[in-house]
Amino acid sequence: MSIIDDENVRIPIGPQHPALKEPTSFSVALRGEKIESIQVKIGYNHRGIEKGCEQRTYIQDMYLLERICGICSHAHSTCFIQAVEEIAGLVVPRRALYIRTLVGELERIHSHLLWLGVAGHEVGFDTLLMYTWRDREIVMDLLAELTGNRVNYGINTIGGVRRDITTDQSQRILKAVDVLEEQTKYYIQVAFEETTLIQRLSGVGTLSRDDAMRLGAVGPTARASGINFDVRKDDPYAAYGELDFKAVSDDHNDIYGRTIVRLGELMETYSIIRQVLKNLPDGPIAVRAPRRIPAGEAVSRYEAPRGEDLHYVKSNGTENPERVKVRAPTLANTQAISKMLEDRYLADLPIVVAAIDPCFSCTDRAAEIINLDSGKNNIMNWDQLRTYSIDWYKNRGIAFK
Amino acid sequence: MSETEKLKQIVEEKFDYLKDAVKMQRERRLWAEVPYNKFFEVFDFLVKEHKFSFISTITGLDEGEYLAFIYHLSGQNGTLFNLKTKILKDKETIRTITNYFPSAAIYERELEDLLGVKVDNLPKGIHYPLPDDWPQGEYPLRKNWDASVLDKGENKE
Amino acid sequence: MKIVDKIVKWARLKSPWVLHFNTGACNACDIEIIAALTPKFDLERFGIQLKATPRHADILLCSGPVTRQIKKRLIMIYEQMPEPKFVVAVGSCATSGGVFKGLYNVEGGIDEVIPVDAYIPGCPASPAAIIDGVVKLLGKLEAAE
Repeated sequence: MSIIDDENVRIPIGPQHPALKEPTSFSVALRGEKIESIQVKIGYNHRGIEKGCEQRTYIQDMYLLERICGICSHAHSTCFIQAVEEIAGLVVPRRALYIRTLVGELERIHSHLLWLGVAGHEVGFDTLLMYTWRDREIVMDLLAELTGNRVNYGINTIGGVRRDITTDQSQRILKAVDVLEEQTKYYIQVAFEETTLIQRLSGVGTLSRDDAMRLGAVGPTARASGINFDVRKDDPYAAYGELDFKAVSDDHNDIYGRTIVRLGELMETYSIIRQVLKNLPDGPIAVRAPRRIPAGEAVSRYEAPRGEDLHYVKSNGTENPERVKVRAPTLANTQAISKMLEDRYLADLPIVVAAIDPCFSCTDRAAEIINLDSGKNNIMNWDQLRTYSIDWYKNRGIAFK
Repeated sequence: MSETEKLKQIVEEKFDYLKDAVKMQRERRLWAEVPYNKFFEVFDFLVKEHKFSFISTITGLDEGEYLAFIYHLSGQNGTLFNLKTKILKDKETIRTITNYFPSAAIYERELEDLLGVKVDNLPKGIHYPLPDDWPQGEYPLRKNWDASVLDKGENKE
Repeated sequence: MKIVDKIVKWARLKSPWVLHFNTGACNACDIEIIAALTPKFDLERFGIQLKATPRHADILLCSGPVTRQIKKRLIMIYEQMPEPKFVVAVGSCATSGGVFKGLYNVEGGIDEVIPVDAYIPGCPASPAAIIDGVVKLLGKLEAAE
C-alpha cells in the first residue's frame, strides 16, 4: 500500500502500538481533519482455531472455542454445543437450559458494563470507567461463585451443564441484581442528563437502517439503527422461548442510540434473571452424551452481547468434528466502521470504533493516518489518538469537568 | 402449517430440481443443495422475493474432489436458509455475491485465503485473515494441508 | 553500588511502569489486567502505572500465545524497551501456549520468543494473581544487585 496516494496522508495506527488493548490496524486517509477513507486491517489475532477443532475431540473443542473470546466466552461455547446437541439429537434437561440462560445473561451484564466504561474512557470520562468497572466486579464475583472462574466459565458440557446452583446462590444473585439495577438506573440518568456525554455521542458514527442492513451489522449496533432483530427473540434457544422480555431497539442511528440500547438491554437482563430464578425447573442438569457424534450438520445462532454469533458444525461419526465454522459478531460489525466515519473528523475515530464494542480476538485490533493535504504519513498510537480526540473536543468547548 | 413448512413448499414448487430436496431440520432451519449453474437462480429468488435480507456468513468445505459452500441466509421470523452448492476443486471459480450483500466481501476473502477458491468480481481489498507474508498456494482449511510447511519456510530465511 | 544507582533502583521498585501487550490473547487476560487497575484491586497503590510506549516501560506484561503475525512486533517492542527490562507472562497461554498450543498460526508461549522473568498462571489469570505476580517480581528485583 502506498503511503501517499494522490494528495492524501495516511496515518497508520497500531498494531505495533501496544496502547491498544488488542491488536487491529486502521489506515486512515485525511483531508485536513476530515476522514476521506478508512481501511481496517484485521488478522493479527488469527490463531487457526477452525482447523484446530478438526484435530480435537468435541469436548476439547468446547474449551478451545470458549477461548475465542474472553468476554463472550459463554456465547461461543453454548453456540457450539447447541449445534452438536442438535446433530446428536440430545434432549437437554430444562434445568440445564435455564442455568445456561442465567450464565449467558450474567455475562451480558459484565460485557455491557465493561463497554459503558470503555466508551466513557474513550471520550475522556474516566469517572464513568471506574464506576462501571467497580459495579462489574459484583457480577464477576457471582460468576466466580457459580462457575468457579471469573471468565471462561466452563459451565457447559455436551448434554447440559456441569454445575448446579443452590437456593443460597439464587438469593445472592437476586440481591446483587437489585444493587445493579439501581446503579444502571443511575447510568441511564447520566446518559440522559450529562450534556457533555450527549454532545460527544449524539450524531456521531451514524449508520442508517439501510446501511446497517446492507453492511450486515448485528447486535446493539444494528438495533440502534432500528433493525429489531434479536436472536433470543427471533430464533429462541436455551430458555428464551419461555421467558418474557423485549428486544430493545432505537432509531437514533448513532452512538447515543447504541448507548441507550445497551442500557435498555441491561434492564431487560435483570428482569430475565429474576424470571429464570423464579421459574427454575427441578431435575437433572445433564444427560449422558456419546463420545462419537453421528454424521450430520447443524447451524446454531446465539445472541452474544455484541450480536449474532453463528457456529456451523459438521460431524462424520468419529470423535472429532469434520468442520467447525465460527462467525463472531465483531467480524460482521467491522464492515460498518468505514461507513460510520465517512465525512467525520479524526477525533471521532476512537469512540466510533469503541462503539461497536469490538472484540477483535474474535476477529482479531490496532491504526495509520494519511494527510491528503500535506502528503505526510503519521503514526499515531491509540492513546495519542484518544488524547487528540479529547483535546479536539475540549477546544470546541466540549469537555468533562 | 408453520411458516417454515410453507417456505419449504414454495421453494420446492418453484424449482422442479428441488422437488423433495429442501430439508427441514427443525423450525426455522432449512437446507438445500443446488448445482452451481442453478445457484444464482435460487439465491436471487430467496433474497429478492422472500426477504432473506441478511447473510450470516459463508461456510467453505473441502469435500475431496469438490469445494462446497454453504450460504447461511437469515430471513423473516428467524428463519435460516442454508443453501449449499459445490464446484470442482482448483478447476472452477465462484462468483461474488457482494452485489447482493456488500458485507459478504470479508467472508469471501476468508474463503480465498483459507480454502483457496477464486472469487470472481470480488472488489479489490486487503488480505484476511492470513498475514501478508503467508506462502502462496497454502490453504490451511484444505483437508490435506499440513502445518509443517510453515516451519520449512522459516528455516530458509 | 553508587548512590545514583541506589536512587534509580529505589525509584524503579517504588514505581515500576508497565507496558501491556496482547500477543494474540482471547481478551480475558487483557481485561483482567485492566480490572486490576480499577477500584476494587487498584494496582496503582504499588506505584504501578500502565504506559503506552515501550520506551517508558520497565515491565512488559504479555498476554496470549504468540501468533505468527505478532511475533516480529513482540521482538521489536522488547528491543525498544530500555535496560533493565523484565517480562511477565500473564495467563496460561502466555506461559505455555495453553489451549492454543499446536494451532498452525500459534508459536507457543512468550518464552519461545523472548526471555521471561515471571509466569502468572490462570485462565484467565485473576487480577489478584496478577498483582501477586508483579509484587513477587519486585521482590526478586530488590534481592538482586
